[in-house]
Amino acid sequence: MLKELLVEIDQADYVSKERLAVTLGQSVSRIEDGLAELVRLGYLSQDNGLNCADLPCGKCPYVSMCHRDPLKTWEITDKGQRVLAR
Amino acid sequence: MSYTIALVGNPNSGKTTLFNALTGSNQHVGNWPGVTVERKEGQVQRGNQLYTIVDLPGTYSLGALSEDEVVAREFILTGHPDVVINVVDATNVERNLYLTTQLLEMGAKVVVALNMVDEAEDRQISVDEKALAQRLGAPVVPTVASRRKGLDQLMQAAADVIERPLNGVVRLSYGESIDAKLAELQEFLVKGDLTYPPGWLGVKLLEGDTYVRKIVRENASLQSSEEFGRLWDEIAAQEDDWQLEIVDRRYQFVSAITKDVVQRPGTAVQTATDQLDRVLTHRYLGLPIFAAIMFVVFQLTFAVGQDLLGDLMATGMGAFGSILERVLVNAGAPDWLIGFAGSGIIGGVGAVLEFIPLIVILYLLMGLLEDSGYMARAAYVMDNIMRAVGLQGKTFVSMIVGFGCNVPGVMATRTLESRKDRMIAVLINPFMSCGAKIPIYLVFIAAFFPSYGGLVLFSVYVLGILIAFLMGKVFSKTLFKGETSHFIMELPPYRLPTVGNVLRNMWDNVSGFLARAGTTIFAVVSLLWVLAVLPGGVEPYGPESILGRIGLVIAPIFGPAGFGNWQAAVGLFSGIAAKEAVVATLGMVYAGVEGGAELVGVIREVFTPLSAASFMVMTLLYTPCAATLGTIRKETGSAKWALFSALYTFAIAWVMAVLIFQIGRLFGLS
Repeated sequence: MLKELLVEIDQADYVSKERLAVTLGQSVSRIEDGLAELVRLGYLSQDNGLNCADLPCGKCPYVSMCHRDPLKTWEITDKGQRVLAR
Repeated sequence: MSYTIALVGNPNSGKTTLFNALTGSNQHVGNWPGVTVERKEGQVQRGNQLYTIVDLPGTYSLGALSEDEVVAREFILTGHPDVVINVVDATNVERNLYLTTQLLEMGAKVVVALNMVDEAEDRQISVDEKALAQRLGAPVVPTVASRRKGLDQLMQAAADVIERPLNGVVRLSYGESIDAKLAELQEFLVKGDLTYPPGWLGVKLLEGDTYVRKIVRENASLQSSEEFGRLWDEIAAQEDDWQLEIVDRRYQFVSAITKDVVQRPGTAVQTATDQLDRVLTHRYLGLPIFAAIMFVVFQLTFAVGQDLLGDLMATGMGAFGSILERVLVNAGAPDWLIGFAGSGIIGGVGAVLEFIPLIVILYLLMGLLEDSGYMARAAYVMDNIMRAVGLQGKTFVSMIVGFGCNVPGVMATRTLESRKDRMIAVLINPFMSCGAKIPIYLVFIAAFFPSYGGLVLFSVYVLGILIAFLMGKVFSKTLFKGETSHFIMELPPYRLPTVGNVLRNMWDNVSGFLARAGTTIFAVVSLLWVLAVLPGGVEPYGPESILGRIGLVIAPIFGPAGFGNWQAAVGLFSGIAAKEAVVATLGMVYAGVEGGAELVGVIREVFTPLSAASFMVMTLLYTPCAATLGTIRKETGSAKWALFSALYTFAIAWVMAVLIFQIGRLFGLS
């Protein structure tokens, strides 16, 4: 399933766990596990956007606007691309 | 007798709660040798038996990808615990059983603590623990560690397993070719006289486990074999594929079990999300739908914020100004203080605060979109366009943040890996119309375009995006050439917005706005007020004041754009400190001249619809505020880029403003 998941992500325009679950005939939690495993093994990388916890915001007056990034993105790593190329 | 029990489980499976419930205060905390991972041990006395319980680090797997994983598996393999209690979260059995499968493959004696069964029941998840025990070949004991339920039964099951011999190691089939290679490997590994079970070592080698590879590579008898060397090279060439295949087979094993033993409620919402996305992220319809939604948001902002609530703040500020002035006069305050309160505070800061109702409505509506999950779709739609013009789509993520404020917008570019993509994202972010610029547009819309407020505001935002795209394209072809990286955006499921989240989002933005009005804008207005009334002997707020003279020096630059008066010039100048200060400055200088006149009315007399449009475009695009410039300097590591950003945005803004004014005049507009 992991390789199929990688192939699906590579061919998809966007990652929708629900759509991947339907396409691969799996539960959403199974897809989440698969994505986590692909990240853990280094085939995929995930970016959760700007994390304010990493920034020394302190009493910056703009801090309330820093938490508005709802976007997560995924990228297939070189290791993942190698597997896809085979 | 004394026995050792290892406690292992996924993070958040309730393992530590179980450890605390079992051992109470009888605990010892230290570190595992050579690593910074915490080692916790506790003791339990049951009859004559003393059990030492070792709480292993929470982990999803027993690979070699983290210190936690290595510590846990080393203890199970070489610490020789008498039994392993595997804590499994009953609300997510499928994920947790992956670790269980690895424990069984290791040949450990396992007892499964099926924890949090109460939460699973609440979520209508039912687990047939007897069937699960049968499939795993290990006892399964339901527990609720937080309420100390099932602990006796768990300890009893552990004691029983300790007494029993191991039934045999679970062997999964990884498919014909891997199984064959594994058998071949095992023949060598048995001869290697290694501390670890050869079967487990073989699987780990095929998975490309770096830790195990090191152990085998350092084994002299194995490395001296030419045949093993050939096998080693063969494995190295295939390890990525085999790794995925082995992990997949484990998941298949787990899926087959959970399919039979776990029942959970259906997930109808998922289909609705998919169906909605077919329309909202459609290749051709996605963008017009996004544009239409934003247009409705802006229209509603004006319909509710301006038409229904618009007079509230203006009336309130007027009343407050009168009371304040009366109080100061009655208290015998000096004229300069009364002037400062009337023109500086009420005329300046008050001019910004008058637009709070519109800002509240705008952020309330944006909060609804964000909380529903739609904004991710908007970013996806824009991402497609950015890719079409050859830009890194992920740039739009930072641009979306920039709509709130350019400071975090520039910081958000940190998520872009390539310097080329990041520099472009940093340089075009100031074109995103931040929240601080909204009062500027609102003043001019109220003065000249009240019937088309939504459309004008929408056009301003769109223009900012278009200029950002255009400049991004220019930079990618000139200053920062190179390949863009490919990424895929995640679209979360749609959900009904909650009142709490929407209100919190609105308050975060409005409170930030108010905080800046009370700090940065107040400070800027105070300084400018001093400059507007000095030197003594000249008419305050007049062209002879220091502020007026500064404005007169700058003003000719803006003549071709249609707003070459000194008040507009100092307004734009003060906007470099903070964008809200543009309105505050205009409010102060005109309030001083017109004796407290309403800003919108004065603007209507000084500007024309065409010069107002030109001024709005200038404020949209020109030099970012000082905080943004400071962030650009910090994020690019160079004052040169901050200066470049300040100058090139000014040049673009000036050219656009002049074009709008001059072309408008050619068409007979005024």
